[in-house]
Amino acid sequence: MLLSVENLDVHYGSAQVLHNVSLHLNPGELVCIVGRNGAGKTTLLKTIGGFHAPSRGKVSFKGQDILGLPPEKVALKGLKYVFQDKRVFGELSVRDNMELAAFPTKEPLSEAVAKLVAIHPKMEKLLGSKAKGLSGGERQILLIGRALVGAPELLLIDEPTEGLAAIIIGQIVQILLSVKSKLSMIVVEQNLSTVARLADRIYIMKEGAIHREITDPEIIRQPSLYENDL
Amino acid sequence: MLKRIEQSPPLTLLVVAAAFFVYGYSTSLFKITDFIIFTIFVLGFDMAYGQMGKLSFGHMLYYGAGSYGAGLCAIHVYPDPFLAILAGMIFGAALGLILGPVLVKLKGAAFALSNLAFNQLGYFLVLVPFAPVTGGEDGISLSFNSYGFIDFSDFNFRFYFYLACLLGVVFLYQRFTRAPYGIFLRATKENEIRVRFLGYNTQVFKVVTFVISTTLSGLAGALNALNLQFTNTSLIDPTRSVEVIFAALMGGAGNVLGAVMGGMAFMTIRQYLADYLVRWEMFLGIALLFIAFKLRKGLYGVLAKG
Repeated sequence: MLLSVENLDVHYGSAQVLHNVSLHLNPGELVCIVGRNGAGKTTLLKTIGGFHAPSRGKVSFKGQDILGLPPEKVALKGLKYVFQDKRVFGELSVRDNMELAAFPTKEPLSEAVAKLVAIHPKMEKLLGSKAKGLSGGERQILLIGRALVGAPELLLIDEPTEGLAAIIIGQIVQILLSVKSKLSMIVVEQNLSTVARLADRIYIMKEGAIHREITDPEIIRQPSLYENDL
Repeated sequence: MLKRIEQSPPLTLLVVAAAFFVYGYSTSLFKITDFIIFTIFVLGFDMAYGQMGKLSFGHMLYYGAGSYGAGLCAIHVYPDPFLAILAGMIFGAALGLILGPVLVKLKGAAFALSNLAFNQLGYFLVLVPFAPVTGGEDGISLSFNSYGFIDFSDFNFRFYFYLACLLGVVFLYQRFTRAPYGIFLRATKENEIRVRFLGYNTQVFKVVTFVISTTLSGLAGALNALNLQFTNTSLIDPTRSVEVIFAALMGGAGNVLGAVMGGMAFMTIRQYLADYLVRWEMFLGIALLFIAFKLRKGLYGVLAKG
């Protein structure tokens, strides 16, 4: 098992936002977490990534307890986070964004840039451009490319298609499918047709808890069979 | 044009050297050493403010520490000018190392005011409890050994030596603010949390940058002690911290030429405007308001656009 989350409780002040959440991820798997706004999906992802400290529970990555580790140490263990808001380092060029990601992993810049260009060849022409000038889709691709630097084993991706045009969503899905063979992913996603194309397994979250787990590929490919559970 | 100059480190050094050389020989080499010292101080301050986005209201503390470090070394250890400069830098660096881990965790007003508070504390310590050593308000007179042409009482030598120091600082500033360290600094200024998620311990990098800033400020303070051959509490006075802030804003924070222009412009106003305006500080206030509302990127921004 690559990742194991056991009995996680998270509070924001006195309000409990995650209730006894447990899930797991096997090597090479792409698991989608779905649920309505406020279901606790992003909080769960951020807690795994080291951004929030839970009040109870355990998070193990490759058999090692990573709970309480700061985000930078979690990242260097091979667990990378792609945020929901698509905020790149706008004042830096696309190449500098990649160099920033490459430096702590000791990966040569040329290899890091090659990874970005491999998932989306058009980025090669944009390497010298300031990242703030990129479109929403290009920013998302840059964020995914940046997360791939340093041979991570697990990507946590928060709503990668939110706010993007249908044609761009198709490109993002293709990119995620193309890197799926090299690493594992947990993708938080509200767009069920995207989930149906991506997921090996689905966790449905409701009111801060895991409401249902779907493992049957036949069911996963038919969102109508579980959309009422959201 | 300015950006092109800044992209080439040798050209930057040449332009900075030429500017001070021409200014020095067309006015007074004696006066221009003050300009050079202050510009080094602005560059040190700008490492914290321009590069990290940390505005300090108490940078005179590190300048003063450098000045007293150099002076006390000359009196109590050995009156060697280079040893005194090294001592001043060590004093600045040591303060940065002691205070940095706490201070860099703070943001915005908390960082600015905590620096001011430490500056106030340092000023009080120098003024009263340590007065037997520091000379209190009267300060301490200094003298330094000379070795042939290396004579710090000769203003011609001081001019060339200080100019060499400034060029060294400009070179180091550019080295630090270029890739990959400069990329890290700019990204941290933009969004520190995201930088941490890339695997950086931002706290360590911020402390290192802060220590560089305090060390350069200490260097400026030490050079001033050698220049004046004395040091007193005016060199650690927290009310004077506004001068370096003003110069950095006037020049344009976050780039080496902006800091140099800010240092030169501020000193020019201070040195020469006083001959024509009795309350010249009022002009500075009006100029600051103009910069805040109209020239957000300072002189560098105006000239780079032009």
